[in-house]
Amino acid sequence: MNNELKQQQTARINIYALISRLTMSEIDEGLLKSIEEDENMISFFPTYKDWDTRKKHSRKELIAEHLDVDFTNLFLLHLIPYESFYMREDQMMETGGDNPVQQLFNDFDFRVELDKARVMSADHIGVELEFMYKLCDAELKALEDENYETAADIAAIQYDFLKEHIVEWAPMYLINVKSEAATAFYYDLANLAIDFILSDFEYLSALKKSQYAYQKDENNE
Amino acid sequence: MNSNDLDDFRSEFEAIKNQNGLNDCVDGSCIADEYEEYPDYLKAIYAEIMPPAKSGIYFSRWDLKKMALGLDESFAIDVRERMFQKFMQWIATPEDMLKVVAEFSTLIDMKCELYKEYAQSYPSTAEIFNSKIEKAEKAKKYLNRVYVEFFT
Repeated sequence: MNNELKQQQTARINIYALISRLTMSEIDEGLLKSIEEDENMISFFPTYKDWDTRKKHSRKELIAEHLDVDFTNLFLLHLIPYESFYMREDQMMETGGDNPVQQLFNDFDFRVELDKARVMSADHIGVELEFMYKLCDAELKALEDENYETAADIAAIQYDFLKEHIVEWAPMYLINVKSEAATAFYYDLANLAIDFILSDFEYLSALKKSQYAYQKDENNE
Repeated sequence: MNSNDLDDFRSEFEAIKNQNGLNDCVDGSCIADEYEEYPDYLKAIYAEIMPPAKSGIYFSRWDLKKMALGLDESFAIDVRERMFQKFMQWIATPEDMLKVVAEFSTLIDMKCELYKEYAQSYPSTAEIFNSKIEKAEKAKKYLNRVYVEFFT
């Protein structure tokens, strides 16, 4: 695989990992420090970077007094980060084994530890993004082994999962996260998540249209 | 209520109908058969407008609060269904209902504008967002129909 493809695939893995982690549970000091000190990562949080409140508090205070409160409102209390609520006509959450996302995860042997993740069902936005992260990681491994057929199969699963699940509902939720966020951090996270999910769908659509013709190593072209 | 008030409501409703293209199906046949019969407007709106799967729009607790604030009303943040009920129970007159329909329509339009922007920036998503916009337009027409059925 060529360098450009490797870089792109690594970036996709990192962003899925980041937005999955941040939508699943409260941020900790270590992760916040990593984001603030990494030029690339902080560029995803432009409003937060210039946010006055950030400059007036230590990371510990900022998390305890602002970010955790906002996370609770946006991800636990007031908004609903579960796909089934958006897809079912009775606007109920499906927390049992009949959840179609849970069934799909079972098919791929993707195990979700609900209690550890502190989510009520497998169709939580953070879990769905983690599934994408795992798929991108597996795709990279296949590409590194120059197993392009397997990589294409995995990319096709990603395309279908985004089309039938994440793109179908997550923007409706994230639009509200963006408009209801009380901190610059979660406002930027919602922006990042929407833009990244939609641009990744754009990338996968183009890849699908090309019949998954990856740009291979120059020697193999 | 005197007959002048009623005339005002009618002309206001006619204006909304024209604005939303409801006159394209004057007999209501284009939307009539898609919906169940409901005993009251509260059940009708909760079942047909509030589910994102049906209207293409997520109305959150804060959205309900903001719509109420637009009418100078204030509700405490509560369970979403309870907040919706309080908002609907605020409606006392046909004029109130028209105002609520207008608040819903404004919010729906605002979210549809965002869908349009996303569909334009990311063309592969156009099919998905256009389907939501279509549902949202139907939802607006249904709100007008609820007004006619339960308030005129």
